[in-house]
Amino acid sequence: MKYDAIVIGAGANGLVTAHYLARAGKRVCVVEQRDVPDTSADIGWIPDVVIRDLGLSGAGLRIAEPDPWITAPLPAGGTLELSRDLRRSTEAIRRISPKDAEQWPEFCGRMHTLAGVLQRLYLAPAPDIEATDARELSRIAGLGLYVRRLGKQTVIDLARILPMSIAELLDDWFENDTLKGLLGALGIWHLKQGPRAGGTAFNFLHHHVGSRLGVFRPARSNMTQALSTISGVEMRRGAHATVLAKNGRATGVMLDQDGETIAAPLVISSAPPRATLEPVALELDPEFARAVRNIKARAVVARGSLSVGSPPPYSTLCIAPSLDYLEHAYDDAKYGHDSAAPYVEVQRTDGRVELHVQYVPPGQHEKLAATVAQVLQVQPSQVQLQPAEESLYHGELTLDQILFMRPVPGWSRYRMPIEGLYLCGSGTHPGGGLPGAAGRNAARAIL
Amino acid sequence: MKQYDAIIIGGGHNGLVTAAYLARAGKSVLVLERRPRVGGAAVTEEIFPGFKFSMFSYVVSLLRPEIIRDLDLPRHGLHILPLESTVTPMENGNYLAAWADHDESRRELYRHSPRDAEAYDEYGHLMHFMARAVKPILSMVPPDPTSFAPGDLAGLLKLGRHFRGLGGERLHALVKLMTMSSADFLDEWFETDVLKATKSASGIIGTFLGPRSPGTAYVLLHHYMGELDGVFRAWGFAKGGTGAVSEAIASAARSFGAEIRCNAGVSKVMVKNGRALGVALENGDELRASTVVSSLDPRRTFLQLLERGDLPDDLIGDIHRFKFRGSSGKVNLALSGLPKFACMPDGGPGGRLHRGAVSISPSLDYVERAYDDAKYGEFSRRPYMDIVFPSMIDPGMAPPGKHVMSIFVQYAPYTQNGGWTDARREEFGDAVVNTVEQFAPGFKSLILHRQVITPLDIERITGLSEGNIFAGELALHQLFFLRPAPGWAKFTTPVRGFYQAGSGTHPGGGIMGASGRLAAMTILKNGT
Repeated sequence: MKYDAIVIGAGANGLVTAHYLARAGKRVCVVEQRDVPDTSADIGWIPDVVIRDLGLSGAGLRIAEPDPWITAPLPAGGTLELSRDLRRSTEAIRRISPKDAEQWPEFCGRMHTLAGVLQRLYLAPAPDIEATDARELSRIAGLGLYVRRLGKQTVIDLARILPMSIAELLDDWFENDTLKGLLGALGIWHLKQGPRAGGTAFNFLHHHVGSRLGVFRPARSNMTQALSTISGVEMRRGAHATVLAKNGRATGVMLDQDGETIAAPLVISSAPPRATLEPVALELDPEFARAVRNIKARAVVARGSLSVGSPPPYSTLCIAPSLDYLEHAYDDAKYGHDSAAPYVEVQRTDGRVELHVQYVPPGQHEKLAATVAQVLQVQPSQVQLQPAEESLYHGELTLDQILFMRPVPGWSRYRMPIEGLYLCGSGTHPGGGLPGAAGRNAARAIL
Repeated sequence: MKQYDAIIIGGGHNGLVTAAYLARAGKSVLVLERRPRVGGAAVTEEIFPGFKFSMFSYVVSLLRPEIIRDLDLPRHGLHILPLESTVTPMENGNYLAAWADHDESRRELYRHSPRDAEAYDEYGHLMHFMARAVKPILSMVPPDPTSFAPGDLAGLLKLGRHFRGLGGERLHALVKLMTMSSADFLDEWFETDVLKATKSASGIIGTFLGPRSPGTAYVLLHHYMGELDGVFRAWGFAKGGTGAVSEAIASAARSFGAEIRCNAGVSKVMVKNGRALGVALENGDELRASTVVSSLDPRRTFLQLLERGDLPDDLIGDIHRFKFRGSSGKVNLALSGLPKFACMPDGGPGGRLHRGAVSISPSLDYVERAYDDAKYGEFSRRPYMDIVFPSMIDPGMAPPGKHVMSIFVQYAPYTQNGGWTDARREEFGDAVVNTVEQFAPGFKSLILHRQVITPLDIERITGLSEGNIFAGELALHQLFFLRPAPGWAKFTTPVRGFYQAGSGTHPGGGIMGASGRLAAMTILKNGT
């Protein structure tokens, strides 16, 4: 069997690229390391256009929109529950801080507008600031005009807020620790930075893209599972693939288990950029290879699951009682240790109860399950965690690693310097937490 | 009553620069300084008999060469002496030194890491180029990206062209410098921890950030900008202390006809129908001028000198949000002799260790931990310190055989758990000398007198809000057209005839004088 394209990785982005290519008439083989499809939830906004183009609704796609979208324990007992309805969440906040309740609707509005700007940037390749051709320049001018039409406040907010720390941003608006903690947690998602680090306000907005006004947790879905049920591409499971290249051209992949090679003129990898490119480093310009080595992709998150007898009474439980709590959690990670008091979020989707634990840098994790169990007041045996070895976003979403700087500066157009080799995973623009967005942009670049 | 063309509030170096430029253009100018001497935070004082100190700011780095030329400062007594080396003692008794001679520094680095010695030149080339690329921004009035005025659009276009002209690779390097932490940026180049610690320490000065906080990489460039100017190397001392810089600018201003009045604190700017008429002094006197310029920080300029009703609400909100958060302290010591550092007991050939800076930044973790203390409202138990011995370069600063030692200390947060008290100040001073003692055993027995300055002291003495040495943090979201507030970064204010000229405006920071000069240019363009 001869293939037109091989896609490495059957996660959301890999499958989206594969199906777009298949729809364009290409014979596509997807090679996936795992034996069985990943059943854990996909977290993040799925662009509507992907759902439409690939007919995901008909393939059993379910997007969870829990209401309330978050539950956080209050220090004096009881919980703060924020609802999808802005008026109801405002009332909930009023019970803990009338002052913050006054601010809440305007805060939500401003953030939603800014996330809207990002959303527009995310549905296309990153603007090429070095471009000289008229088409790209007019696209950049169009973007500029679009932003300015949103009003003076938005231009100022973009310049001021994106480089800010989430702590400074929230301190500008709110006084209540519980509220600031649960919002601040989104600013540090998958980052080896604390809430006082510049750029965490951007990370907060990144994860607000696609969410409804006043909802600050990304959607959860069964996207990967739904994609796995669509026909049109061939799947090879249980095989780890390495890119093969010769004379500056991609020639196919080698399956590590038995050394079998599959030839194809196009190889598209949704694996982390570094892991994809390292085996072909000899084919690369040394400066480019250095840039790839320098991608910051430090692991800080352990995901896992919680075994419970009956489903918990909340859909998302956030343990991040204050910004200082998050900052202290980060301090431990800075010096290479698991947080003594980590940020823990419990997410119930489709009957499964999943965990997000941060910060968990690579190293020894003997006490981790017990620590998390203590935070959640459950038995350690109920907690199963898989600490990551590398950033689950294949590259941290810091300001120096986004847009035209992602995955490496100047190579944000999915095409790599080896002919026929492309990237399509969350290591590329627009990054993690947006299943399918990078995959679609990559497919369009290839086609 | 005499009507001046311009009254300048505050006789710090920026205020004096504005005054000198306006007077040079033939304007009648009056400078009003609250303290008995000019200089603001650039003052030399004989704190203990025979011992003179640059009380706050202690090195001259980026004083704009055009200012030195335009005002002919050397003729007015400015004499800058090079500060050529930096030695960083390590906790294991070793050290890292950067000497005046490039090749020697490279050999020294080779001792720690051959790989880093290789990377050092390439890094230097890149930084040199980047400094050249950024420098024009320092002498530019920031365009307003929210405005559709032709001047602003032209400015933005010019800026866009300038940056695109750098070419891909260097543009990317600039994005990295503007957004990364100095630790991450240096990680891409070097492996020697003590080198990264010492270099990144320059990125945290005056900020409430640690070396691993994004936004600190940019300041690495400042070091190279100083070299570019060709007037002196990266850092220098003014003969007679930093007060001599202020005195030289004041003398230049006077030579152009400016009047400078000390002990003349201003309480209010008089405003009528949205126009500044003059100032009211603390003693009740009123003075008239067609142009009033404040070189005080933005909080004082907008919230203290003016009435609420003079300003639009959104500007008041923006100024309230402008971050000051002073984080640095200073310990000035009079010594009976020079301390011996364990890593280099003889001070090197010719005692050159003491002629340069000694940086207490033995590792990245050391500096980062110093920041951790500050984050939670404590001064660093083991702080980052930049130590110089001005009397080694300028013997007039201390009696014969004796020495002055200037210790810049970080972090000492303005907002201290329980507040700053006299006892707390002394505890802070103890932490500083005890830490130095660990690197220079026996040092404490040399101390004759000690002055400890906290951010609260800086605020009380100089008027800088929260003791922030840059009159407002130099964070990315407080720079360029956002300094001090969007829409008001061009030295004007909503009150006609009232201008701002201090370090709280673009580009701010250090004894640079660029803000004062740009303000004067703007005023002359608009007409007084």
